[in-house]
Amino acid sequence: MNKWIFLCVLLLLSSLFLSPILSGERVEIFGYFESQFMGAGIKDRFYQLYTNKLRVDLQSDVSETITFSANFDYINYLGKKQWNILDFLTDDVTASIPREARPFYVIAFSDETFLDNAYIKMRFKPFDLIVGKQQISLGTGYVWNPTDIFNVKDPLDPTYEQPGHTALRVEVPLGSGSSLTALYSPEEEWKYSAKLIRYKNRVSHFDFHIIAAEKQWVFHDYTRLDTATGGFPGKPQKRSLLGADTAGEAFGLGIWAEFAYNWMEESKDFCELVIGGDYTFDFQTYVMVEYYRNTLGKTDHKNYGINDWMRFYASEQKAIARDQVYLLIQHPAMALLDLGLISVYSLSDGSAALVPTLRYSLSDNVDVFAYLNVNLGGAGKVFGKNTGSGGLLRVRVYF
Amino acid sequence: MKKALTLSLGILWIIPALPGQELTGDDIIRRVNEQLSPETSHGTAEMTIVTSSGSKRTFVFEQWSKNKGEKNLVRYHEPSRVKDQAVLMLNNADDIWMFFPRTQRVRKLATHAKKQKMQGSDFSYEDMGSGDAFVEEYEAERLEDEEISGYDCFKLELVRKQESDSSYSRLIVWVIKENFIPIAIDYYDEDDPARLVKRLEQSEFRIVDGIPTAMKAVMHNKNDNTQTEMTLLEVAYNVSLDDSLFTERALKR
Repeated sequence: MNKWIFLCVLLLLSSLFLSPILSGERVEIFGYFESQFMGAGIKDRFYQLYTNKLRVDLQSDVSETITFSANFDYINYLGKKQWNILDFLTDDVTASIPREARPFYVIAFSDETFLDNAYIKMRFKPFDLIVGKQQISLGTGYVWNPTDIFNVKDPLDPTYEQPGHTALRVEVPLGSGSSLTALYSPEEEWKYSAKLIRYKNRVSHFDFHIIAAEKQWVFHDYTRLDTATGGFPGKPQKRSLLGADTAGEAFGLGIWAEFAYNWMEESKDFCELVIGGDYTFDFQTYVMVEYYRNTLGKTDHKNYGINDWMRFYASEQKAIARDQVYLLIQHPAMALLDLGLISVYSLSDGSAALVPTLRYSLSDNVDVFAYLNVNLGGAGKVFGKNTGSGGLLRVRVYF
Repeated sequence: MKKALTLSLGILWIIPALPGQELTGDDIIRRVNEQLSPETSHGTAEMTIVTSSGSKRTFVFEQWSKNKGEKNLVRYHEPSRVKDQAVLMLNNADDIWMFFPRTQRVRKLATHAKKQKMQGSDFSYEDMGSGDAFVEEYEAERLEDEEISGYDCFKLELVRKQESDSSYSRLIVWVIKENFIPIAIDYYDEDDPARLVKRLEQSEFRIVDGIPTAMKAVMHNKNDNTQTEMTLLEVAYNVSLDDSLFTERALKR
């Protein structure tokens, strides 16, 4: 905690001293504090994890064409800070795992302080150049983004911010509705560094993107424990992606689609597809449906293995089941209060999660977000009862 | 959306010195529409939601508008919760993009999004105006003149055209004869033309850059018993705005 106090003081002092240096432009300081409770029922136990997060944003218009933006995050965890994935899985999946290897299937939450984003945006007449650790948001899908090889969203909280990625990005406007984006995100070797090029165009009321990208990728083998390192073996390989997406409107409905084919250097190639639509009724109720296919996912839950589950929880693959549907219904129940219902349904294994949600504006700068997730599927399925029904309550204060 | 700043505008030189009695409902609403559509505008507004329990939520946003409202950009400054969120609307809001600064994501929205409440307020994006909505979406009929708040007004009934997808079956509009500002608008339920759902009242009229302007508008929501006040803090008309301001690049700033 002392480290964080020191950091805050340092930030405040820095902003005071940097203000006159940065061309007389002031540094804006803003951000939020978030307190969150998350719980999940596992067998006869109920695990709880409390999170306190402080995000401090700095932003300065260094000149008319140059902007500096950054944010530091401090996250403090309380409660159950080590979640063993095996607790969520059925015996037929975990039976083959040796007793001595079981403690390694743990996701640990440790207090952390880190530079989340820090980048300089330079606006030249023919292009923008963004250098540093930055947000990379790709694709038109709401819950799933096949063309986004940098991020994986939480289906129950898909709009939550993603971690920053160090990259050099050039955005070139090519006329009305058209642009070209090129991005390079360095790794140890050029071969495995992420490279991306994306072309955007607009036709009628539709936006289109074509994207080509490559990035280093690792699928770990969670069936074997490397006793020398205490980890699971995984060989880096090159992932090459070619994809496209679109978003627009037809017959009064918002519609979008996103597709990506992935060539893997070592493992099996795969593709992902998203098709979605939404509508707002005159009585303000908003409805959204999104279908997602991932050929890495299995079509029969009896084939879900430890690798499927662990790769999913480690964000190495975005789905366990091949076909899923996301449904969102949201309505402003009264002033400042939105109520919603999310259902995620696995077409492949017939399981579903029902998730009532609540968003309330407690004051100008205080939001409350809560959901309960109830898994309705049978044991061993993606949304099986054994995978932990529970909920989340988050209060966020912006400053 | 352009009405967020041009709550009611009247271009003085286009108001003829014709006796009001000779104007049809169609004439009047076209002139109102002209007044709501200056070539360009730029300004800042404060929007305060007042709930039935008296709670208040206040937003400050900046807006740029060009080509008589055909292009619009709105950027929120306050509160911190929505700081730098922005909405770009082109082709009279037939194309809408929303920018979320924390994720740097730009999302294309379909036009049904105009039915949603603007930041939870009693103004839907549709209420805030999009191009020539009064003329394009409704048939106007002139009713008997009335006096409102001491102003001699034309009273119009606007009935939704069959092909329109407006959220209201009809509107009753009171237009000040002197300057063609709509001082009040009653909005009726989509399915029940007898059921009043909202009432807009405008006040604090000033001349800004030669244009009569209502500096304050209050939308009363009869369903929820809430209201939203919109106050212009700054506004300028017919300013020079480059087309590059109305692009995804500018949206992301």
